[in-house]
Amino acid sequence: MSAVVAGGVESARPRSPALNPRLVAGLAILLLWEATARLFAPAYVARPTGVAMALPHVLADPAFLRAAGLTLAAVAEGVAIAIVLGTALGLAMGRSLVAGRALRLWVNSFNALPMIVVLPLFSLWFGYTGSARLATVVFAAIFSILLNVADGASTVPSGYIEVARSFRARGWSIVAEIVVPAATPYILAGIRLAAGRALIGAVVAEFFTAIPGLGYYILYNSRTFHHNDAFVAVLLLAGFGAGFDALVAQGTRRLLPWYRRDEARE
Amino acid sequence: MTFDRASWGRLAPSAASLVAGLALWEIVGQATSAAFMAPLSGTLVRLVELTQSGVLVPEVLSSAGLFLTGMALALLVGAPVGLLLARARVLREALDLYIMLLYATPMVALIPFILSLMGFGFGPKVLVVFLFAVFPILYNTVEGARSIRPELIEVARSFRSSEWALWREVMVPYTLPFAMTGVRQAIGRGLVGMVAAEFFLSATGLGQIIMTASQNFDTGAMFAAILIIGVFGVALTRLGRAVENRFARWRN
Repeated sequence: MSAVVAGGVESARPRSPALNPRLVAGLAILLLWEATARLFAPAYVARPTGVAMALPHVLADPAFLRAAGLTLAAVAEGVAIAIVLGTALGLAMGRSLVAGRALRLWVNSFNALPMIVVLPLFSLWFGYTGSARLATVVFAAIFSILLNVADGASTVPSGYIEVARSFRARGWSIVAEIVVPAATPYILAGIRLAAGRALIGAVVAEFFTAIPGLGYYILYNSRTFHHNDAFVAVLLLAGFGAGFDALVAQGTRRLLPWYRRDEARE
Repeated sequence: MTFDRASWGRLAPSAASLVAGLALWEIVGQATSAAFMAPLSGTLVRLVELTQSGVLVPEVLSSAGLFLTGMALALLVGAPVGLLLARARVLREALDLYIMLLYATPMVALIPFILSLMGFGFGPKVLVVFLFAVFPILYNTVEGARSIRPELIEVARSFRSSEWALWREVMVPYTLPFAMTGVRQAIGRGLVGMVAAEFFLSATGLGQIIMTASQNFDTGAMFAAILIIGVFGVALTRLGRAVENRFARWRN
């Protein structure tokens, strides 16, 4: 192990100084984890070498792949529904004073509610089924999109709209051609937040209803003392969360290079 | 109290929407069975019953204790470590990627491991709230530290500023607003962690009221507990935003 550390440091130093401390820290974290697990924890507890060895057979396991597909499909479907509904309602809230004032109270209250509390209710309404998971994902995702779209739609510079009006643009084409493009960065920021929440929603729904998916895969394998296998699923979830985050961030930079507001409404 | 036209115009849609929403809840609740959706009136009746029977208050206190302990630990660890990372550039470069990854990881996925390793006690539940809350604080503090303009530190240095003065005059004031954004996010996430711990580790507090109610198809008690969590959520979000705005003056 120490040879690996030394080799990594030597080869990394001349090329990129920024890579160097990161690599050392990463290896140190893995070593610390491995050592702690070996010295103090029972044999079934996840550790880096165990996870690495579990990786090939878990990734080849049809049950795991099916679970991953089910969870990610539910997240994609739920986020898509949340984007359509959230953008429509958000535009209404942002562009109409009355709609904004009428809806804001409810949207802010639901957004402040920890989304996990709806699980028992949704499983009562939809049964212990995929619909309960989908409903949880939509509920988890929609409010951050809605609030960001409303923010974006209400801060469109009035000059844009005056120009469109003076060219006799009608209401709908103003929304479609001026408001939506101007609010796009906000929509993207909302989606970025929503995707993370949707993933959490899907996992907790699977914990709660015990329907097949990555969450249930983690639950089942940790209960049957296959922590290394279960941890592969955690890695996939983390990779999906971070990967989607990076994708939207890069998309924002590439598609909207003028845009610098990195922060979104939670 | 009299309203002029402008404030009436501002309040009327909100008030009408509030009344309409509550009326809709009552009507749908009356039209369906109580096992599906209790109406507003049924929820309020259960709220009063739960309070009078002495069930509610201890469970609210138990939830609040769990949330506050986890949040306090997240602040005690997140803020100093965040500030240390703000100053020590090597440490920051070494750890920022991992903090970002953990910030993006759905922490709920770790709950089954915590359950299996640590069991059902108060400690593992606090750990859940802590894990949910600490990474937003760390992540935002590190982001803030990264955005400190090097000129500021160079100027402070060239005036022979001591390390203590550098912290007091540059580092802390500059990173604090970002840390406060983290605290606001941590409040929301900590609340999710609290309910998750009560649902999935051992049923206590408001989570237990919701779980028991759902097993008995007692949607009135369920809504009553959700209502209380909602009120806490709104109040804490307001508090978080107020704290954030209080410190936001420095930013930009």
